Amino acid sequence: MATFPLRIGTPDGLLYEGEAERIVCRTITGDLAILAGHINYCTALGMGEAHVVLEDGTVRNAACIGGMLTVIGGSVHVLATTWEWEENIDEERAKEARRKAEEMIAKGGLSDHDYAIVQAKLQRALVRLSVKQ
Amino acid sequence: MASNMKAVKLRIKSVQSTMQITKAMELVASSKLRKAKERADLCRPYFKELYGTLQDIAETNLDFTSVYTKPTESTVCCYVVIAGDRGLAGGYNSNMFKRVEEEMKGKEYVVLPIGKKAVEYYKRRKATILTESFAEIADISVSDCFEIANVLCQGYRGKEFGSIELCYTEFVSMLSQAPKVYPMLPLSGVAENGEEERRKNRNLILYEPDAQTVFDAIVPEYLAGLVYGGVCDSVASELAARRNAMEAATDNAEEMIEKLNLHYNRARQASITQEITEIVGGAEGL
Repeated sequence: MATFPLRIGTPDGLLYEGEAERIVCRTITGDLAILAGHINYCTALGMGEAHVVLEDGTVRNAACIGGMLTVIGGSVHVLATTWEWEENIDEERAKEARRKAEEMIAKGGLSDHDYAIVQAKLQRALVRLSVKQ
Repeated sequence: MASNMKAVKLRIKSVQSTMQITKAMELVASSKLRKAKERADLCRPYFKELYGTLQDIAETNLDFTSVYTKPTESTVCCYVVIAGDRGLAGGYNSNMFKRVEEEMKGKEYVVLPIGKKAVEYYKRRKATILTESFAEIADISVSDCFEIANVLCQGYRGKEFGSIELCYTEFVSMLSQAPKVYPMLPLSGVAENGEEERRKNRNLILYEPDAQTVFDAIVPEYLAGLVYGGVCDSVASELAARRNAMEAATDNAEEMIEKLNLHYNRARQASITQEITEIVGGAEGL
């Protein structure tokens, strides 16, 4: 299949640079797959699982949280706030984070601001765990 | 003569202890620098990519429905000035302020200072300061940058200012750091080419679900990413500047000690010679 140049960057470094066949990730409006030959495109990323199909057909899974995806002149740039490959996710830590967040929510008495932060933490932990499973 | 010798000796001692301090500071700066440089190196591709992508968008964008893309009427400019927490870093802080001063000339402006020195400087100049909650550059993390971005977006949407510029010190190499000013918003100001050029190479971009939603979601992240990149580079620059300054100071102290030692030895020699002459003179008189 035709491939396209893909770059995945986060504030912690450039995580992928090379050809890819397909990239699937969650945007603010739902899951989206990009194949080669896409028109110029720009959207914002949501929280969810992402998959990249490499040139040789291997699939790499990742947790993707926030950021943007652009296609300009056939090359795809993913600039995510967090992008963790499946093998780099710390399952224990995510479980711990989920437990803590659930406890906080169950205890109640949080201000709106704190509630939003805890909710976001819980969501991030859930995304990581769902990629791992 | 004896009192002169004592003074020189004291002076040598004081220079020596100063040298100890500068030497220690140099070592601390260089060990911190290694970490900061790693962080800056990791962050730089993201920073460049982010800025490049937004520049591409700005150049081809013909959609002005979003508040972030259209040129604004407000002439007030917001400067995000990133400087250090401490002095003794050569010209690091003052170079930054000088560069920003050039940029500000004749403009109305507000400032969002990051780093203690920046806060102090703009307070002294009685500039309008957006917020002082980011005074410590040393412990600014990605999440702080998102908060900064939120503050900036709120101000921008509330028409407190019409453009945002990022002022930070680029880490060119261990020996050279350059203060830089980058326009961040509105996006029409980010494009490198003029209006003419833009019309020529316009190719439409599809925004999903629509431009306004996409920009509303992207711009805070874009600002946060740029500010974080700026902070990483500035921290590395500050440490490199301090290391260089302290290295020079240590060298100077060494030179000074050498000179003073020479003085001291001369004075000592002179006093011995004088004593001998006195003894010989006294013996002849007998």
